[in-house]
Amino acid sequence: SKAEAEAIEKELLEDYRFGRQQLIEIWGHACAMAITKAFPLPSLPRKQPTVLVVCGPAQNGAIGLVCARHLRIFDYEPTIFYPKRSLDPLYRDFTTQCEKMDIPFLSYLPTEVQLINDAYNAVVDAVLGAEAEAGEGREPCAAILATLKHVRIPIVSLDVPSGWDVEAGSSGGISPDVLVSLSAPKQCARRFLGRQHFVAGRFLPYDVQKKFELNPPEYPGTECVVAL
Amino acid sequence: RGDPSCPGPRRAGARLGFEAPRAAILPPSFPRQEEAQAIDQELFTEYKFSVDQLMELAGLSCATAIAKAYPPSSFTTSQPAVLVVCGPGNNGGDGLVCARHLKMFGYEPTVYYPKRPNKPLFEGLTTQCQKMDIPFLPEFPAEAALIDELYGLVVDAIFGFSFTGAVREPFGSILGTLERITVPIASIDIPSGWDVEKGKADGLQPDMLISLTAPKKAAMHFAGRYHFLGGRFVPAALQKKYALNLPPYPETDCVLQL
Repeated sequence: SKAEAEAIEKELLEDYRFGRQQLIEIWGHACAMAITKAFPLPSLPRKQPTVLVVCGPAQNGAIGLVCARHLRIFDYEPTIFYPKRSLDPLYRDFTTQCEKMDIPFLSYLPTEVQLINDAYNAVVDAVLGAEAEAGEGREPCAAILATLKHVRIPIVSLDVPSGWDVEAGSSGGISPDVLVSLSAPKQCARRFLGRQHFVAGRFLPYDVQKKFELNPPEYPGTECVVAL
Repeated sequence: RGDPSCPGPRRAGARLGFEAPRAAILPPSFPRQEEAQAIDQELFTEYKFSVDQLMELAGLSCATAIAKAYPPSSFTTSQPAVLVVCGPGNNGGDGLVCARHLKMFGYEPTVYYPKRPNKPLFEGLTTQCQKMDIPFLPEFPAEAALIDELYGLVVDAIFGFSFTGAVREPFGSILGTLERITVPIASIDIPSGWDVEKGKADGLQPDMLISLTAPKKAAMHFAGRYHFLGGRFVPAALQKKYALNLPPYPETDCVLQL
């Protein structure tokens, strides 16, 4: 649930003294790993391994930035759309890292959905996370989500499909193909109907898992994500 | 600014494997200490990476390399017990991250961390380990034989590529003991006590070296069984600038066996 998700994050930051940047790095890296499993390079339909990463203004967006950087390291060609940049200095550095790695930043998101379908193999939805308020209200998120609802290429949502209520799910929101749950699946994940659901929770200390009754799956080998 | 109708920068096939012939001919370069420090500096000042981020990726690489070379099933001790010896600087921090990931990979790490910097980064990493029930030894095992008995592997996270000058206590005695153990040692970045460029013939002889970012000159003197490259975060432009000629990492692995 949303309250539990917040409590877990609080415990990691305050009791375990994880740094926020550290956690975002861990999550972003894990998301990139999940994406490479869901869409391996040789399986991509387009000639270039292009991926559009749409980043929202808060933490979910920052995770998207880190994810994009790791996708670049893994030889994908990410392009980022990050219209409302966070003023938080922690997140600003993530932007610089991406820019300095020659990851292009779009100046606008085409409303002509066919352009997106034609240019990219997949879209990473890092717009809104568990911390967001329900609904798709504020700009520019509303317009972005309206466009994403109509894309034909697969969408990978990070943690929570943007626009969904964290607990109740969605009626008429975006329909991601792949969901990567961070730490543990949120309640709305029960409404997820897409192809693959990954959990990126290997870094969670055992005691946190127990305390919140997370019952995580087994992670093979040294993998940081696992498909449910 | 990018235009959505022409996605992705042009990179003449470089990312799709067409560069293989060029990469095969040039060997990896072995940066000297100053170059290694310059690369690090550029990652922090130009690329705006934080120490937190890179340390997390570095420590993960170390743990992953260890898991590949010394899987838990290969240990003769009853538990896959690993002693992680952390020094007073960033190499020690890498060791703390490594210890945490080793625990998650099913090992039983124990840390010895005698000189702890008074900085939130290191305090946070220490807390993360302690709260994950990773014991911190109050003192270093007195005898090499004791280490051999209790642990199947020792991780040397004492000194890294910034090390110069004389070894200060307690690390002198620690290295003395480590030079006498028979269980394998995995050194992070530089075998501790070695000159970063010239090595040290009578110093530690680790079985594994995990070179971070790029192998330093000292790595040319490494004679152990396993040399891994880790720290898969160096942007392509930086690799080119310093002519690192790093071989490509396999798929999404964060380590590469050299």
